[in-house]
Amino acid sequence: MRRRTLLAAVAAAAGLVSGARAGWAGDRRVQGLLIHPTPRPVPPLPLLGAEGETSLAAWSGRPLLLNLWASWCLPCVAELPALDRLHARAAAASPAVIALSLNRRGLDSVRATFDRLGIHRLDAFVSPSGKAGEILGAPVLPTTLLIDRAGREVARYVGAAEWDGDDAGALLQALAQDRAIGPEMAPAVAKMPATAP
Amino acid sequence: MAAWRGIVLAAVATSLWLCGPAAAQQVRQFALINQDGQAVTEASYAGRVRVMTFGYTWCPDICPTTLATIAAALDAVGTHAAEVVAIFVSVDPRRDTPQHLKDYVAAFHPRMVGLTGDDRAVAAAARAFNVRYAAQPAPAGDAMAYSVDHSAGIYVIDRKGRLAARIGHRESADDVAARIAAVVDKGE
Repeated sequence: MRRRTLLAAVAAAAGLVSGARAGWAGDRRVQGLLIHPTPRPVPPLPLLGAEGETSLAAWSGRPLLLNLWASWCLPCVAELPALDRLHARAAAASPAVIALSLNRRGLDSVRATFDRLGIHRLDAFVSPSGKAGEILGAPVLPTTLLIDRAGREVARYVGAAEWDGDDAGALLQALAQDRAIGPEMAPAVAKMPATAP
Repeated sequence: MAAWRGIVLAAVATSLWLCGPAAAQQVRQFALINQDGQAVTEASYAGRVRVMTFGYTWCPDICPTTLATIAAALDAVGTHAAEVVAIFVSVDPRRDTPQHLKDYVAAFHPRMVGLTGDDRAVAAAARAFNVRYAAQPAPAGDAMAYSVDHSAGIYVIDRKGRLAARIGHRESADDVAARIAAVVDKGE
């Protein structure tokens, strides 16, 4: 144990990035479900979709699952099909699924990725400034924000999850019903493909 | 506890030494292959300010957004953009072929360069920037599913190939752009 602590301290001091577990050594622990002790207001977030510029206010009053992804991020691409299925079966009362791409080549490139992956139900959104990750304080992808109907971020999930699985179902139901989210509601980690999709 | 402190102090002292004036004056050399398969060196970019970072494209479970930040910073430097080149250096030459890098960097910015090379060339380039990296085998044992731990950070290199600034990889795009613009304005 002591040796591990020493190694971690050396890695942190040297600024080594661990690709295996996180963006960098200091943030290795921040994967998984992070529940905020106090819900956080979501900063204004410009979005560009098929209908033009919009914002999260367009979903006002509905809980949201806001997923940040990019085509160059393999784990992001791996979890998109589950988000597509979740979106397709989301009832009016359940959280709306928004997949926001950080790709900088516009909606066409997002649609091209969707076509390649066979994703036909999710709507394409991009961040016009390319700064959505910065605005939302998300330095790694994928990051998924769970936003309550009052527009506050109550939790976020860092990494790829099985969003249409039973575990995630309990989490999303709690969000839809304004119930407290607990660590036992963490969704299952998505299985990664052996090769790039 | 004493040993722990000693290691941290040694690491801090090393990083201060690495960023000292003597180290900054040297030209950071490399001889690599770009995304079009052409051999390049630091001299290929002489006269332009370079924004460089090291990494690899195959992120197994989460991916840092450093290159997206650099791309946004490139746009934010505005009129300076033609004088600046963004360079991504792979520390995973086994998987990051020039062809693969071409698609990868294009997803970030039309003017981003991706460099790779053979193991020795990549190791030499990393050494020139005091970047360390080490492949970590995948827990499941798939030989090609390894990850690569590596030093993070963004390096701003002046027109002569010398280190002008080292920026943390979590800085905002506007801050990175300001640091780039400062080096461009300095005229070196």
